Amino acid sequence: MMKKAAFTLLLAAALTLVPLSAAVRPPRMEYSIATLPNGLTVVLSEDHSTPIVHAELWYHVGSKDERPGRTGFAHLFEHMMFKGSKNVDPEEHASMIASIGGQSNAYTNDDTTVFWETVPSQYLPLMLWMEADRMATLRIDDATFKSEREVVKEERRLRVDNQPFGRLSEILYDTFYTVGPYKHTTIGSMKDLDAASIADVRDFHSLYYVPGNATLAVVGDFDSAQAMELVKKYFGRIPKASGAIPRDYKQEPPGTKERRVTTTENWPLPAVVVAYPITYDGHPDSYALHIASKILSDGESSRIFKSLVYDTGIAVSAFGGGNIIEQPNLFFAVALVQRGHSPADAEKALIAEFDKLRAEPVAEKELQRAKNQFFRDYIVDRESVRGKASQLAHAVVIHNDVKTADDEVEIFTNLKVSDVQRVSKTYFTQENRLVLHILPKAGAVR
Amino acid sequence: MNARTIRLASSVAFVAAMTAMGSAQMPNWPSEPPPRPLPSRPVSFPPYEIRSLANGMQVIVVMHHEQPEVSVRLLVRAGSVYDPQGKNGVATLAAALLNQGTATRSAGDIADAIDSIGGALDTGAGSDFTQASALVMKDSFDVGMELLADVVRRPVFSPEEIDRQRQQALSSLQVSLEDPDFIAGAVLQRLIYGFHPYGFPDSGMPETIAKITRADLQEFHRKYFAPNNSVLAVVGDVEVAEAMAAAQKAFGDWQKQTVQPPQLQQPPQPTRRIILIDKPDSVQTAVRIGQLGVPRKTPDYMNLDQAIRILGGEGSNRLYRVLRSERSLTYSASADMNTMLLAGDFIAETDTRSEATGEVVRLIVDEFTRLQRERTGDAELAGAQAYMTGSFPLTIETPGAIARQVLNVVMYDLSLDELRTYRQRANAVTPDDISRVARTYLQPDRLSIVMVGNAAAFKDQLQRAGFGKYELIPLEQLDLTAVDLKRR
Repeated sequence: MMKKAAFTLLLAAALTLVPLSAAVRPPRMEYSIATLPNGLTVVLSEDHSTPIVHAELWYHVGSKDERPGRTGFAHLFEHMMFKGSKNVDPEEHASMIASIGGQSNAYTNDDTTVFWETVPSQYLPLMLWMEADRMATLRIDDATFKSEREVVKEERRLRVDNQPFGRLSEILYDTFYTVGPYKHTTIGSMKDLDAASIADVRDFHSLYYVPGNATLAVVGDFDSAQAMELVKKYFGRIPKASGAIPRDYKQEPPGTKERRVTTTENWPLPAVVVAYPITYDGHPDSYALHIASKILSDGESSRIFKSLVYDTGIAVSAFGGGNIIEQPNLFFAVALVQRGHSPADAEKALIAEFDKLRAEPVAEKELQRAKNQFFRDYIVDRESVRGKASQLAHAVVIHNDVKTADDEVEIFTNLKVSDVQRVSKTYFTQENRLVLHILPKAGAVR
Repeated sequence: MNARTIRLASSVAFVAAMTAMGSAQMPNWPSEPPPRPLPSRPVSFPPYEIRSLANGMQVIVVMHHEQPEVSVRLLVRAGSVYDPQGKNGVATLAAALLNQGTATRSAGDIADAIDSIGGALDTGAGSDFTQASALVMKDSFDVGMELLADVVRRPVFSPEEIDRQRQQALSSLQVSLEDPDFIAGAVLQRLIYGFHPYGFPDSGMPETIAKITRADLQEFHRKYFAPNNSVLAVVGDVEVAEAMAAAQKAFGDWQKQTVQPPQLQQPPQPTRRIILIDKPDSVQTAVRIGQLGVPRKTPDYMNLDQAIRILGGEGSNRLYRVLRSERSLTYSASADMNTMLLAGDFIAETDTRSEATGEVVRLIVDEFTRLQRERTGDAELAGAQAYMTGSFPLTIETPGAIARQVLNVVMYDLSLDELRTYRQRANAVTPDDISRVARTYLQPDRLSIVMVGNAAAFKDQLQRAGFGKYELIPLEQLDLTAVDLKRR
């Protein structure tokens, strides 16, 4: 019995020592980068561990680029890219990829629209040829457009309108922003989807779906010289576009006093949100904000989990983190309030966590833990060709510097507790804060 | 047939028109066929080792040195299917409590230990198995293994942690019971499996979770958690000898014991039952349609897998084509074959706007019938097989994916040869095999049908669509434990 206790103590000591002295870092990636004369950026990274290859084509356009009255259009347009091009019939893109055992899909977010395929490596030419074909010659037809719009409306019903808490971010962003580019979320409104026309599709394609606004990342089992030849062959024949892409985003004016908003939804539990405006992805402050997210919400030893879920049971679920993207966005925390507790308690507990980050330096151990969690995320992500490609493309498109894919590890390594406290003091201020209570409609709780 | 011909004709005209427009967009863009593939590289299932400790615990090792991480996963042959009657949720609650306190560590100690090394520790129970896994960086391999062994072997199920997890489970369920996807899935399971444990959500229901005691949890752990009833998979940046030594150190002194699974009744034979769960605030109807299928270990598994893929899987998917591509009635539509140790099911699912509900249910049921009555075309079957065989290298990319396949074979007591012969077996299936299994196993006139949505907006369509005999249950009266599914 005594022996056992002593053993446990020793082990506990070992546990705290291991990570501080010897954190494993993600190995650096090997890649090459080039820009074609037409402006297409190409990143190639060989990985011969499995005979597959993954390509993703990032167009630097997302829902923040939509013009007023056309929310949801970037995503609706993404769907149109599967409706055929000169040499590929409608729906054939996906079916051809499936017929060779590949996977393909696309997604749209606030900043980018990404099309991807993973295929057995011998089909690299097919994949590049198909992506080039739809960049150059999308088929645009009114009947197809109208029917695909109905599919997107079903997607909105499925993911947003018919889900408990499905509208949470839509409500938060619409409430927080007055003019900023992130006032609406990517799915957009039914009204704006209905207002979109075939002319919008044509304009969007000719302005944004051009080589100079695209980055192609290819990772997998190929020979780089051969892959580059193929890229030139299929994408090189697309001419350089002449139009300049507008990037003049309205900035939200700084807050002057705390805003408080209460609203109701058909949800089973109340939700409380506390939100602060923060900076953009790549800003020197953004790294310490990433660390703050980890300290607040990664794992069961994180602060918000411990305080709101484990210790007090105020929340069924609670988290907080920075939405650190291309233009300044929000850092926010959400609590879904447990029966028997009040939204006021949840609000108090969430704000206390932000105030604590301002008032006290985080523990060295907490900082190191957050860094280790970051390194883990990098490493786990890089197990797949898809993860690697998306890290490389993100570095190019959002940071305009492919080297950041690896160099950010160094920035995280060098962060200090004082950095975390400094950014907390800068951003988590009362005058910048929005407190949002979303309560169940009367009769919604069964 | 006529409608089909017309659609085809108009789409040909449309293609011609669009090609002209494509040229206008980029005048010199060539008309050309897709490029030919490059020479392919041979690919085979990656090496793995299966060994055993003296106490009967099987250990699978997959070496993969690309990234400096190791994942350790333990599966116990006991899931919600062994929940005591009336106490559904025991396996799930027991699993949730594994990392909430052991003989020597509190819940907080465990969280600190795993988070501080940048690891992740997960526990959970499914229908057949309970699993616990630790993901750690290479330099923390021993720590991860020791921690995993501790939570699996020595959980204490302390009363206050039980209360906490029970409360969490009840609150989560309260949210889930407002989610149309969860509700529709749970009701369909009940219709397909009756009162067999597979008929209930793994989480249990509020009524059954409330009845679970500490003794139930301890007993579940005592009865089933044994080395000879478990399989450990060590995967990643580690050598076999190193993995075996760590497994021996962490699990070698775990005592072997006799494990006796409970005797369970068979699920009922399929009968047509149509349930409409009324959730008036819905803007879309969740439609789930299915019937009893087969257990995982079934000689016809490969034939059935392809039949269901033709109905609604990757590489083919008639449901997607009919519901989305041709009619824009949904965002997604699919069919799945779920196979477990003791039984399985075939399920089709989609979500559609309220106004289209009747039409969608009719179309799905018709596709089940068509699969049974019409011979599958060679080209369509070839498409499904091309996907299955072509995607093989994609399924062995990550160490986790490799381990999952080996674990699957071991846990369901299949032949290890299946991993090696997958592509040959997939290509051997013929249209006659599909016809035979569709006739043998599918019962389109006995499909169970569940719709969750705003009943007032679509119930009048059901008669016209041929589904007039339904049971209407307001969501607040739904009781999964009642024979008629209604709360008294």
